[in-house]
Amino acid sequence: MARIQLQNVKKAFGKVQALDGISLDVKDKEFFVLFGPAGAGKTTILNCIAGIAMPDEGVVKFDNDVMNLIDPAHRNVAMVFENYALYPQMSVYDNMASALRSKLYKTDEAEIKERIMWAAKTMKMENLLERLPSQLSNGQKQRVAMGRALVRTPNVFLMDEPLAHLDAKLRNAMRTELKEMQANLGSTCIYVTHDFMEAMALGDRIAIINEGKIVQIGTGDEIYYMPCNEFTAQLMGDPQINIVKAEISGTDKEYSITIKVNGEDVVMALPSDSGVYSKFSEINPDVVDLGIRPQNVKYSFEPKDGYFKATVYSYESIGNKSVIVAECGDYQLRMIAPNGLNVAIDSEVYIRFELDHAIFFDAEEKTYIVRYDEASFIALAAAKEEE
Amino acid sequence: MKTGKQKVLDVLKNILLIIYAVFALFPLIWMILISFKSDTEVFTTTFVFNPTLANYQEVLLRSDYGRYILDSVIVSGGAVLVSIIVGVPAAYALARYNFPRKEDLAFQILSYKFAPEILVVLPLFMIYQKIGLYDSYVGLIWVYQLISLPLLIWVVRGYFEDISVEIEYAAQVDGYSWYQIFFKMLVPLIKPGLVSSALLAFIFAWNSFTFPLILSSNKVYPVTVAIMKYLGTDSAHYGQLAVASTVSALPAVIFALCIQKHLVRGLSFGAVKG
Repeated sequence: MARIQLQNVKKAFGKVQALDGISLDVKDKEFFVLFGPAGAGKTTILNCIAGIAMPDEGVVKFDNDVMNLIDPAHRNVAMVFENYALYPQMSVYDNMASALRSKLYKTDEAEIKERIMWAAKTMKMENLLERLPSQLSNGQKQRVAMGRALVRTPNVFLMDEPLAHLDAKLRNAMRTELKEMQANLGSTCIYVTHDFMEAMALGDRIAIINEGKIVQIGTGDEIYYMPCNEFTAQLMGDPQINIVKAEISGTDKEYSITIKVNGEDVVMALPSDSGVYSKFSEINPDVVDLGIRPQNVKYSFEPKDGYFKATVYSYESIGNKSVIVAECGDYQLRMIAPNGLNVAIDSEVYIRFELDHAIFFDAEEKTYIVRYDEASFIALAAAKEEE
Repeated sequence: MKTGKQKVLDVLKNILLIIYAVFALFPLIWMILISFKSDTEVFTTTFVFNPTLANYQEVLLRSDYGRYILDSVIVSGGAVLVSIIVGVPAAYALARYNFPRKEDLAFQILSYKFAPEILVVLPLFMIYQKIGLYDSYVGLIWVYQLISLPLLIWVVRGYFEDISVEIEYAAQVDGYSWYQIFFKMLVPLIKPGLVSSALLAFIFAWNSFTFPLILSSNKVYPVTVAIMKYLGTDSAHYGQLAVASTVSALPAVIFALCIQKHLVRGLSFGAVKG
């Protein structure tokens, strides 16, 4: 159990800058999620913490002790590898016992057995213990890899997409299990994922990583409601947030936006909000990127007041709800709809934005400007912080 | 149920295999037959003759044959041992580390096997004379590395490359030192490759003729060269020659039979996805 700090860590592989000045401060007993697209450098961060990769620059600290020159064996970390890395010549049981049988973490066999049985039970794989890794499916291997980490009492658990290969039902069960387990074990955990749901469900805090840099660190809510730029906004949320170029007009009494839909201008008045209005009067933008989540886009198949017209591009189910994608010229809008609608492709659909949930981004820099109700979200984040 | 056509095919397949087996084994059988014949019967009989153990007595009891075999064992065994000690770490380095001109180096090692032995043996002869390695165990073991080392390095390197590097990382994280990882995790995984290539290297070294013929004389007398003794200038004792050859083939055969279960590949598959 330890606090993990990274200070300005840089790592290059040949000409590729895998990590470009990563600074993190993971609190003791925190469940910290690294979230980002493939190739962002998430695994390299874990490798630097585990000691497998040596940072070119920067400092890795466990509880204020600089660990840069400590080899992986002496760091006491437990790691779940993305490709499992099970020892092929050993049975599942021996795989899980391997760390506890090493000279450094020597434990007596009775205790080892007890812990393995516990881990096997939580992972629902008691029947697999005698098998060799080659006799397991990918999902089973992944559970063994998890089990091998869980039997230990390390400074930190490092998990590299440990649920990626499980089937959906087991993944959901394990997600719940994992969160509870981590709370019970009282251990620090750094968890890499590219699944937005996992990141939101598990992370006490989430760090968004892109191209070797940290884009944003915050609680799931913070990042979801106040993404620091369009990249984060698009990453967090499924279906993806809609981002539409909008011209701003008006004065500090009343602002309205104009968007282009299939070549025609659509003007919408911005609801009054002290935060948004004062920000706009301060920076006076001509054009902004309007971010609006699919659940805040309302639709109708009849012409309605305040609705603008577009055509249906697709209608697909995503489980308990569906997504309508509407064609609006050079961009598309996604919106949430119930299942079982009879929607014909290319038919007309009428759309309205719930602008009081909008997020505004700088049209040039793509960075966050302001959102509706900002003050209450800041207050919410602060309240969580205090917990 | 097998159809009639399949049955015919099976029978045909077996007949072909039997023919091939006879073809492949016939020289061996012939040699063994000769080893039981007296000198007079060698040329006059084929399968019907009066078997005699005289040749065996002559070779095994009344000559230095035991010493020749022992020399062969020492030289070939020593060569393989040195190859393992040197070759396994070299193979690991070639598989895991990146350094400038790595592939060139690997290819150069392999290229030692390309050159005909006769090409290098004359300069080696002069060098060995000068530095005192001529007619010594060390000298032969050293030169046998040209035969055994490239083979071993290239086979074992392939095995190391098949082991995902994450397995090593996992073992490091589990608290093992590099040497523990190497012997506990990696050696079991490369064992099939190591055993099979060591066996092949042993057989190649055992069969080597040019090197011991020219680089040794009296003190070290491997069996391949010693067999020539039974070919006199005036008379050829084919019976004794056959005994010497038969017995000299035995160690390799026994060796191969003992470790054939290790010659199964496939242990390192399945632990890593993809």
